[in-house]
Amino acid sequence: MSTVRQYELVYITPPEITEEALADLHQQVVAVVDRFGGTIEKTENWGRRRLAYEINHQREGVYVLEVINGPGTMLAELDRRLRVVDQVVRHMLVRVDEDLAMAERARTRRKTAMAARRVRRGLPPEPTETELHRRREEDDDLDAGDMFRGGERGER
Amino acid sequence: MSDFDREGRGGRGGGGSKGAAGEKAGGRRTFFRRRRVCKFCVEKIDYISYKDVKLLAPFIPERGKIQPRRISGVCATHQRALQTAIKRARQIALVPYVTD
Repeated sequence: MSTVRQYELVYITPPEITEEALADLHQQVVAVVDRFGGTIEKTENWGRRRLAYEINHQREGVYVLEVINGPGTMLAELDRRLRVVDQVVRHMLVRVDEDLAMAERARTRRKTAMAARRVRRGLPPEPTETELHRRREEDDDLDAGDMFRGGERGER
Repeated sequence: MSDFDREGRGGRGGGGSKGAAGEKAGGRRTFFRRRRVCKFCVEKIDYISYKDVKLLAPFIPERGKIQPRRISGVCATHQRALQTAIKRARQIALVPYVTD
C-alpha cells in the first residue's frame, strides 16, 4: 500500500484538436489513474492559449490541467504514456501536496499568532467586522504619509 | 532628515532602480531611497503557483530572465519559491525562457 500523494498534470495539445480527441485524451489519463487506484480531483480546461515560445512551430496550444491523487508509481506510467501520445506536445507533472501543506501551515500559524496577539491585548481573537473596515482606512492614511511606498507601487 | 531614518534598510540595489527613485530631493543619497519590501510577505501569499502568470510577470523583465532579488526586494524564502514557480511555468510555455 503506497501512500497517496497529490499531483498536478498540465498538458498542451495543438490548437486544432477536436473535442472528441480531447475527451479521448482525458479518458486515457483517467484509465491510467484508475488502474493505480488514484482519483482525479478536478479537471480544468484552460482552452486556447498563446505559448510563450514556439513548440513544433506552433504559437498556440490548448491547455488542460488535471489535479490527481494517487501513488508515485502512477507517475512513471502517466509520464511514459503522455510522452508517446502525438496529441500532447508538452506535458508536466508536479507534486503539489507538500507545498500546499506548507502553505496551509503558514496560514494557520499566522492566524493563531494573530489570535494570540489579540487575546494578549484583551481583544476577542477574531477581528470584528467594524474593525476590519477601520483597519483598511487606517492603512490608507499610512500610505498617504509614506512617500516611498507610493512610488514603489507606481513603478510596477 | 527623518526621511532617511525611516528608510532604514534596503540600502543597496537602489542603483538599478530605473530612475524613478531619484526624483525627490536631489543628491547622491537619493539612490538609497527605495524601500524594498517583499511583495509576497506583504500580501501574505503562501504558495507561489506556476500557473499564476499574472503573479510571476512582474519578476520577469523583458529579456525573460528571473529578476534578482537585490532589485525586486523579494525575501530569500520567497525568491526560492518564485524561482521554482518561474522554472515550472517555463516548461509549459506560460513564460519564456528567453526573448530577444
